[in-house]
Amino acid sequence: MSENQNSSNCRISRNVLIKAPGLLPMLYTPREIAEDLDVPETTLRDWLNHGAPHSRDESNHIWIDGKQFAAWVDNQRNARKKPTHPLQVGEGFCMRCNTIVKIQNGEIRPVKGNLSHLKGKCPICGGIVNRGIWNAGSSELPQC
Amino acid sequence: MLDRQNYLNVKLFLKYSRVVHGRSSLQISNDFEHLKSLLLWAGSQPFGSVPTINTSLFDFLIQKAVNGLDQAELQSILNTNQRFLLWVKAMFPVEFQNIRLSWIIKISAIMEGKEVII
Repeated sequence: MSENQNSSNCRISRNVLIKAPGLLPMLYTPREIAEDLDVPETTLRDWLNHGAPHSRDESNHIWIDGKQFAAWVDNQRNARKKPTHPLQVGEGFCMRCNTIVKIQNGEIRPVKGNLSHLKGKCPICGGIVNRGIWNAGSSELPQC
Repeated sequence: MLDRQNYLNVKLFLKYSRVVHGRSSLQISNDFEHLKSLLLWAGSQPFGSVPTINTSLFDFLIQKAVNGLDQAELQSILNTNQRFLLWVKAMFPVEFQNIRLSWIIKISAIMEGKEVII
């Protein structure tokens, strides 16, 4: 048996994401797994070409391990999640530079209740950077 | 790894239920979920030799039911499994000659607390 894996992101439908954990720890043929997941066999074969785990026997027949395939589907879902970078204290998003920057000369102005408005300058382009802050304190102002 | 022939027998039973008994796709889907426990319990052993497994199906389900299976659901799973084993014994009498009818009936009778005398 030989393994063929090319890592690449595939678009996995919600239906498959729900059904994949129910696959059994056994070897499936592509047709069986396509029936169980309710997807066309061509779609499944496309996923196999894009790195879904499978093996071939000496007769060149494709076999898919149910648990390995379920793990691969789960990885695909996690891979599609975009990484997030929460703003730290004194940071803001500069619309001109399109990046997170440390706000310079920041001024805090209360808006309503605990909500305040932090306005400062971008250290790269010198443009104005705005940010809404909750429970504003002196720690929100950058040391610069 | 599970026995592939067991899986194929289950699939055949589901197809038979759909075509002959006219069970809906939702019922078929439920039946398949119930029969998955039988497949997992049998493991790599063919269904023909399941009476030799030490742990009973009922005990296996109880162990698996840590995340909450109510009594009605458990009974439903046992009934589906019993229905499947009766069907498989009727359809393939030679392959499943080791499975006794009394053993099959005992599967759901355990849950109901009935005494089986055959």
